[in-house]
Amino acid sequence: MPKLAETLLVEATDAVAGGKTTSLALLQACWANLDALNPLVNAVIWEERAQAEAAARAADEKVAKGERLGLLHGVPMAHKDMYYQAGRLSTCGSALRKDYRPTVTATVIKRMEQAGAYVFAGLNMAEFAQNPTGHNKTYGDCHNPWNLPYITGGSSSGSGASVAARFNFMALGSDTGGSIRLPASACGVTGIKPTQTRVSRYGVMPLSFSHDNVGPLARTARDCARVLTVIAGHDPLDPTSSHELVPDYEQFLDGDLRDTRIGVPTNFFLDGADDPVVSGMEAALKVLEARGASIMRLELPLMDAVAAYGGIISRAEAAPIHAEWMRQDPQAYGAHISGRMYPGYALPASYYIEALSRRGPILRGFAKDVFSQVDVLVTPTIKTCLPTLEETNIDHGPPGTETRFMAVSANTRPFNYLGLPAVSVPCGFDPNGCPIGLQIAGRPFGEGRVLKVADAYQRDTRYHWQRPPILEKMGAEA
Amino acid sequence: MAAFETQVESTISRWHGIKPPNDPAKRLAAELADTIAAFEALRGTLAFEEEPAGFELALQATKEKAPYTKASM
Repeated sequence: MPKLAETLLVEATDAVAGGKTTSLALLQACWANLDALNPLVNAVIWEERAQAEAAARAADEKVAKGERLGLLHGVPMAHKDMYYQAGRLSTCGSALRKDYRPTVTATVIKRMEQAGAYVFAGLNMAEFAQNPTGHNKTYGDCHNPWNLPYITGGSSSGSGASVAARFNFMALGSDTGGSIRLPASACGVTGIKPTQTRVSRYGVMPLSFSHDNVGPLARTARDCARVLTVIAGHDPLDPTSSHELVPDYEQFLDGDLRDTRIGVPTNFFLDGADDPVVSGMEAALKVLEARGASIMRLELPLMDAVAAYGGIISRAEAAPIHAEWMRQDPQAYGAHISGRMYPGYALPASYYIEALSRRGPILRGFAKDVFSQVDVLVTPTIKTCLPTLEETNIDHGPPGTETRFMAVSANTRPFNYLGLPAVSVPCGFDPNGCPIGLQIAGRPFGEGRVLKVADAYQRDTRYHWQRPPILEKMGAEA
Repeated sequence: MAAFETQVESTISRWHGIKPPNDPAKRLAAELADTIAAFEALRGTLAFEEEPAGFELALQATKEKAPYTKASM
């Protein structure tokens, strides 16, 4: 294995367990690419190399002793910098938390450590996870490895960029309105937002209690399935997490779509979509059809209600979390966050309660009409070609920049309100060489189904293997 | 400044002690008029959910049930 950082997560952990490589070699491969590329993409904002090296050596000793190994044994990882680890830095992407060291450790971090993984760095992100682009006033904007002036997607910007640039096998992101799927789409990697309540949020910086989700970004659907199997499931420390049993998600990845009915919305998701994006989706549908899936075009019900109600919950829930800082030090925030958060303080509680109370009936109505006809929905993850960082810079952009900015997450937000699982897989490139993503959404707790469709697609395509040209230019290891 | 924007800024200042931090904040606050219009359009179309855990129940009621691979059948 001469190019270790090119290796998929599942291959890497299997190789360590099988004695074909070492955890230390994986870590050094990540470091080599990080040193070459991070000055350009700005995905990593802190590192602890000595601690990571000690963890790698400990992992290798376990292999040498023949000890029982976990599903992620020996894999170095870096996550969005909002997953608390007791005593370690957790900036949440903000100047307001530049020295913040929490006293608790997130359940998902503990579960991955118990499975044998370890953390080697903290990743750039939108301030307090509140923008869909990758801008960051304090730690610097994150740049797309495929084309540096373009957005990475956000808010898990460093998560998408680090996996695409091959210095991270997998990264946790968080998704409140698309923050896993958007960077997955923009950076040409795979990311899944699980069903609401599927994964514990204990020890994770909150943005919107009703819409926040934890999930992985990695190169493939299989890699995501491996991680989800480890992190999903009820957590007594997060009473809102579901008791639904967790399967081994990899068992569903059999490539057989003969019994799968795919729905393609004729409303909302393609409104204003750019041609290259629609072409990418249509080509992907042909691949899925060739695998045995049936395709049905259908109009989705209740989308006006989903958009209206879904649009206020995050703003209403984020506002009180930040109220004290917004009073005392509003200029510590970038306009990307303070500008968007400000209207949340004017939302009447009755609107918020109305939006919450209709979530159940709307999900029931949506599921009754849609999932009686199809098993999954397929849409573009981002409906336009990627904009540049400059085109979406609210801090000094002209009036109207906000509209361009908000359009990035138009196709992902509905599935947060509905609470449905959705995965994004790379399905092509736009004329600027930036990746295009395909979003696959399913029923509640249907993560296995959407990952199965995503994996089947990746069996017949090579987009997830393609590498940003910058890797060759900068002489990266992989 | 339009009356609506003035009213929104005044409400936020009175209830929260927060001033608009920048121009985008003012522009986005003005867009609350669109939010009101969207809610107005939905009036009378849906009933209030009386069940306190309605969304969680809906997740269970609509969840993926059938096996979706031959291996799991």
